[in-house]
Amino acid sequence: MDKRTNKRDPVTVNLRPGGGPNHMARVMGEKPKNSKTTLIRLMKYIGSNKKYFFTIVAIICLSSAISIVAPLIQGKAIDTMESENVKLFFAILFTLGGIYLTQSLSTFIQSISAAKLTQATVRKMRDDLFSHISYLSIGYTDNHRHGDIMSRMTNDIESISNTVSTSVATIISGVIMLTGTLTVMLVKSPLLTAVSMISVILTLSSSFFLTKYMRKYFPKQQRLLGALNSHVEETVGGYNTIVAYTREENARKNFSKTNKELQKIGVLAQIFGGVMGPFMNVIGNIGFLLIAIVGGKIALESNQEIITLGMISTFITYSRQFSRPINEIAQQYAQIQTALAGAERVFEILDVEKEEDEGTDTEFDVENIKGEIEFNNVEFSYVPDKKVLDGFTLHVKPGEKIAIVGATGSGKTTVVNLLTRFYDIQKGEIILDGKDIFTLPKATLRSAIGIVLQDSVIFSDTIENNIRYGKEKSTKEEIISAAKMAGVDSFVKKLPDGYKTVLAESGANLSQGQRQLICIARAILNDPKILILDEATSNIDTRTEMNIQKAMIALMKNRTSLIIAHRLSTIRDADKIIVISNGKIAEIGNHEELLAKQGHYYTLYQNQFAGLKT
Amino acid sequence: MKKVLKFLKPYWFIAIWAPIFMIIEVLADLLQPRFLSTIVTNGIEAGNMNVIYSTGIKMLIVVAIGFSGGVLSAVFASIASQRFGCSLREAAFNKVTSFSIEQTDKFSTGSLITRLTSDITAAQDFVSMGLRMVVRVCMQFVGGIVMILTLNVKFGIVFACALPLQILLIVIMVRMTAPLFSVVQDKLDNVNSVVRENVVGARVVKSFTTEEYEINRFKEANNSLTEKTYRVQKIIGILNPFIMIIMNLSVIAILSIGGYEVRVSGMEVGDAMAAVTYVTQILMSVMIIGNMFQNLTKAKACMGRIAEILEVEPAVKTGEKNFPKDFDYITLKNVSFAYPPSEEKILEDINLKIPVGKTTAILGATGSGKSTLLKLICRFYDCNGEILFGDEEIKNISLDSLRENISFVLQKSELFTGTISENIKQGKDNATDEEIENASKIAQAHEFISGFANGYETFVAEKGASLSGGQKQRISIARGLIKKPKILVFDDATSALDLSTEAALRKAMNENLEGVTVIMVAQRIASVMSADNIAVIDDGKIAAFGNHETLIKTSDIYKDIYNSQMKEGDDR
Repeated sequence: MDKRTNKRDPVTVNLRPGGGPNHMARVMGEKPKNSKTTLIRLMKYIGSNKKYFFTIVAIICLSSAISIVAPLIQGKAIDTMESENVKLFFAILFTLGGIYLTQSLSTFIQSISAAKLTQATVRKMRDDLFSHISYLSIGYTDNHRHGDIMSRMTNDIESISNTVSTSVATIISGVIMLTGTLTVMLVKSPLLTAVSMISVILTLSSSFFLTKYMRKYFPKQQRLLGALNSHVEETVGGYNTIVAYTREENARKNFSKTNKELQKIGVLAQIFGGVMGPFMNVIGNIGFLLIAIVGGKIALESNQEIITLGMISTFITYSRQFSRPINEIAQQYAQIQTALAGAERVFEILDVEKEEDEGTDTEFDVENIKGEIEFNNVEFSYVPDKKVLDGFTLHVKPGEKIAIVGATGSGKTTVVNLLTRFYDIQKGEIILDGKDIFTLPKATLRSAIGIVLQDSVIFSDTIENNIRYGKEKSTKEEIISAAKMAGVDSFVKKLPDGYKTVLAESGANLSQGQRQLICIARAILNDPKILILDEATSNIDTRTEMNIQKAMIALMKNRTSLIIAHRLSTIRDADKIIVISNGKIAEIGNHEELLAKQGHYYTLYQNQFAGLKT
Repeated sequence: MKKVLKFLKPYWFIAIWAPIFMIIEVLADLLQPRFLSTIVTNGIEAGNMNVIYSTGIKMLIVVAIGFSGGVLSAVFASIASQRFGCSLREAAFNKVTSFSIEQTDKFSTGSLITRLTSDITAAQDFVSMGLRMVVRVCMQFVGGIVMILTLNVKFGIVFACALPLQILLIVIMVRMTAPLFSVVQDKLDNVNSVVRENVVGARVVKSFTTEEYEINRFKEANNSLTEKTYRVQKIIGILNPFIMIIMNLSVIAILSIGGYEVRVSGMEVGDAMAAVTYVTQILMSVMIIGNMFQNLTKAKACMGRIAEILEVEPAVKTGEKNFPKDFDYITLKNVSFAYPPSEEKILEDINLKIPVGKTTAILGATGSGKSTLLKLICRFYDCNGEILFGDEEIKNISLDSLRENISFVLQKSELFTGTISENIKQGKDNATDEEIENASKIAQAHEFISGFANGYETFVAEKGASLSGGQKQRISIARGLIKKPKILVFDDATSALDLSTEAALRKAMNENLEGVTVIMVAQRIASVMSADNIAVIDDGKIAAFGNHETLIKTSDIYKDIYNSQMKEGDDR
C-alpha cells in the first residue's frame, strides 16, 4: 500500500505541524533562470493570437518596406533640388506624400492590432495563471506568501503588458528593417555598407555586455516588489493584531528594510537600463561620422561618380535606420528586462504541477451515494517522520453522525483534510461507498462533501451571493429558507440592505459568529451528502446554537456527518463519538457509553465543569 | 499630484543634475546636423578633405561629451526617482499603518496593495522619465526650431501651420484618456481582490468545487481590466498616426521650400539636408511630448490614488496622557456605538463598572455586541459616551500607552510569516527565551511547540496554515501574555481549545496573573463561570451583571445560556 508515498510533488510537502528546515516561504527561488526559454515561452503566448499577430507582421512588413523606400526617394528629392527639372522634383515630393500617407495608415492598423494583441495576450496569461492557481494543491497556497502570488498576477503581468504593446512591434519591425535595409545598402554601395556595419557590431556587443549586468538586477527587483506586496497584504490582513499590539512601528521597519533594498536594486537596474540609450546614441553618431568621412572622401575623389551626395544622405539615413531598431530596443531595454523577469515569475507558477487528479471513475453516481466512509489503517504525516495519523481506522455508516474529539493538534482536522484529499494519505485507504477515493475525480469527491470551517471564509459580495456560493442557481426562496434554518435571516432582516448587504473584506459589518452562521447557511443550501463541521459553531453562542439546533438536526438527518467540536452540547447527540489520541482512535462509542467507560472522554467531560471548582 | 510630487523635494539636489546633464547630451545632439552640413558643404562640395577631418574630430569630441552627459543623467535620474519612490512608498505604508481600523475597511486589501506597488511604480517611472525626457524633448524642440530658423526663416511657416495641429491632437488625446486611467487602476484592484480571496479561501473554493465559478469570476474582472486598457490604447492608436501624418507632410513642405530656395536664392543643398533632419527631430519631439502627456495622465491617476491614502487622517486620534497607574475601575458611561458608516447601533447606552484586578466575563448572543465592546475598550473605534480608566478618559490617553497596557487576544488568531518565537515576541520585542517559554507555558503552548523538531524556531506557514486552530490560538495567547499587561482582553480566544486544555490554561492564569484585570468574551459557560463578574449583553444592552451565583438566580437569559450547555451535566 505504499503506492502513494512518492507521488506528491515537493510543494505539497506541507510544514504542518512541525515546520522543519523546509522554509519554503522564505527562500523564494533565487536561482537564475534561462532567459532564452522564458523569451520563447513568452513569444509563444504572444504568437498564439494568430489573427492579430499576423496582421501586425504583415503591416510591419509594409511599413518597413516604406521606411526603406522613403529615404531613397527623399535622397532623390535632394539630388533633384539643384536640377532644372522642377516637375520631376515635385513628382518626387508627391510620391513621397503618398508613401507617408500609407505609412500613417499602416501605423494606425498596427497600433490597434498591437493593443488588441497585448490585451489578448495579457488576458490569456492572467486567466491561465489564475485557473492554474485554482487547481494547485492546498499545500501550495499554504506554503507560499499570498502577497507574492498576487504580485505575480498584477505587477509582473502589468510589466509584460507594458512591454508587449510596444516591444513586439519594435522587435518584429527591427528584424525586418535590418534585413531589408542591409539588402538595399548592399545593392547601393557595398563599401558604405561595410562602414555602417562597424556601428552595428559596436551596438550588438555593447548591448550584450550591458545585458549581462542587467540580468542580475531585474529579476531581483521583481522579487522584492513581490516581497513588498506580501508585506502589505499581511499587514493589512492582520491589521487588528498589528494595532492591538502596537506593532505599527515594527511593521514599518520591516517594510522599510525591503523597501530600501528595492530602492538599491532599482537604482542599479534603472542605471543599466538608462545607460543603454546614450550608448546607442554615441554609437549611432560614430556611424554617422564614419559614413560622412569615408563617403565624403570617396565622393570627393571620384568627383561624385562612385558616390553621389544624395547617396551619402541616403546612407546616413540608412545607418540611422540600421541602428534605430537596435536603438529602440535598447531604449526599451529596461522595460523588456522587467517584463522578462516578470514572465519568469509567472511561468514559475505555471510550472508547478497541478493537483494530481488520477481519479477516472466518471460513472460514480455522486448524487445518490449512501455516504458510507471507511478509513483503513490510514497513515499520514505532513513532515516526514512525524506521523499525525498512524493506523487510523474508522467505519462510518451511511447517515451516521460522528463527533471527533481529541486534544488540540491531535489530528482531527487532518481527518478532514484527507477525506477531501486536500492532502493525500501515505498509507492505507479511504473508501467512500465502496470506492477507493483515489479512483474518484477530486471534483466528484468534493462535491459529495460539504465543509464548514472554523475560519469562516466570506467573499466581498452580497450576503445573498455568499449563501448562494457553490450553488449559483438557487432561487431567492431557497436562499431565504436556508438562511432561516441557519439563523441568518433574523439578523439580516435588520440590516438596511438586507440580503443585498455587501460584506466588507475585514467584515466590520458582521461579527465572527454571524459569519459562521452564513457559512452554515451556505452548507445547508448546498445540500451535500456528507457534511463536515470543523469547529463550525465555535464562535456562535450556545443559545443561538440551540436555536439552529433544529436546523442542524434536520441538516444532518439522512446525511453522514463528521463534527469536530469542543463544546459538549454540540457533540452530545452524536451517534458515535471518537476520541483521537496519538494518531489513533483511543475510544469510540456514544456519550453514555463513553462516560460509563471513565476513560479519555470522561476526563474531557469532567473538565467542562472544572470551571465550577476553581 | 502636488502632494505626491513633494516627495521628490528632499532629493532635488540629486534630481537637478539629471536634466542638467541631459542638456549637455541634447546640445551635443543638436550640433550634429550642423557638423554634417559643414562636412557636406565645406568639405565634400568644396573638395576640402581637411574640413571633413577637422569637423569630424570636433564632432567626435562633442559626441563623447554628449555620451557622458547622457550616462550621468541616467545615473542621477535613477537615483532620484528610486529614492522618491522609496520614500513615497514608505510614507504611504506608514500612513496605512496609522489608519484606524474603520479606515482600512474603506479600501480593500487588494486596492491598498495596488496603490502601494503598482501605482507608486507608475509615479516613480514618471519622475524618472520626466527628469530625463522633459528637458531632452523641450530642448530638442526649441533648439531644433532655433537651428532651423537660422538656416532659413521661411521654414518657420511650416511650423506655424504644423504645431497648433499637433498640439490640438495631443490635447484631445490627453482629454480622452485621462479619466480612463484611474478606471484601469480600479479594475486592477478588483483583479487583485479576487486573487486574494481565492488564495486565502482556497479550502472553501476547493471543497465547494467552485473552481470553475471562481475562474469565471476572475475572467470577468480580468476582461473588464483588459477591455479598459484596450480602450486607452485604442485612443492613442488612432491619434498617433495623425500626428505622424502632420510630421511627414512637414518634411515634404520643408523639402519643397528647400527646393525652391536652392533654385531661387541659391541656398546650399547641405542646409536643406540639415533642415530635413531638424524638422524630423522637432516633430519627433512633439510626438514624444504626446507620449509623455499620456504617461503624465496615467501617473496623475496613480498619484491621485496614492494621495487618497496620504490624505487620510486617522479617525482615532491619540491622546497626550500616559495610562493611569493605579485605579479601581474601568467605567463605561452611556456608551453607544454604530459601525461607521452604518447608523444602526450595535451597542446602546452601556453602563458598566469593571473592577481592576478581577476577571470580568461578557456573555451574549451572536452579534449582540460583545466583541465590539472589547474593541471599544482597546479604542479600535471611538464611541459615544465615556470610557474611563479610573478618572482618565480613554481619549486622553495616548494610544501607544493604552495598548501597551492592554493585551488584546483576538477571536481570529492572526499569525505572521516568521517563526513561532518571532510571533510570540510581537508582544514584547526584547523578550528573552525564558520569557517566551514562560508565556507559552501559561498559554499551554509550550508542550506542543517543544514537540516540533525545531521547537520555537519552527516556521509558521502562510497565515498559520501549518497549525491547527487551537495551536494558533494558544500562540496568540502567549503573544498576549508575554507583554505582561495590566489588562488582558480575550475575545473568545479559547474557542478552539479543547476543554481540558482550556481548564489548564485557566488554572495557569489564575496562578500566574495576579492583579491582572481580565476581560473576556466566551461562549462556553464553563469558561466564564469562575469569573468574578459576568456581564450579559443582549441586543446591544447590558441585560445583567453579577457573579455566577447571583445571575443564575436573577437573570433569565443567563439561566437560559447555562441550561443550554449544562443541563444534562446537572441531570446526571
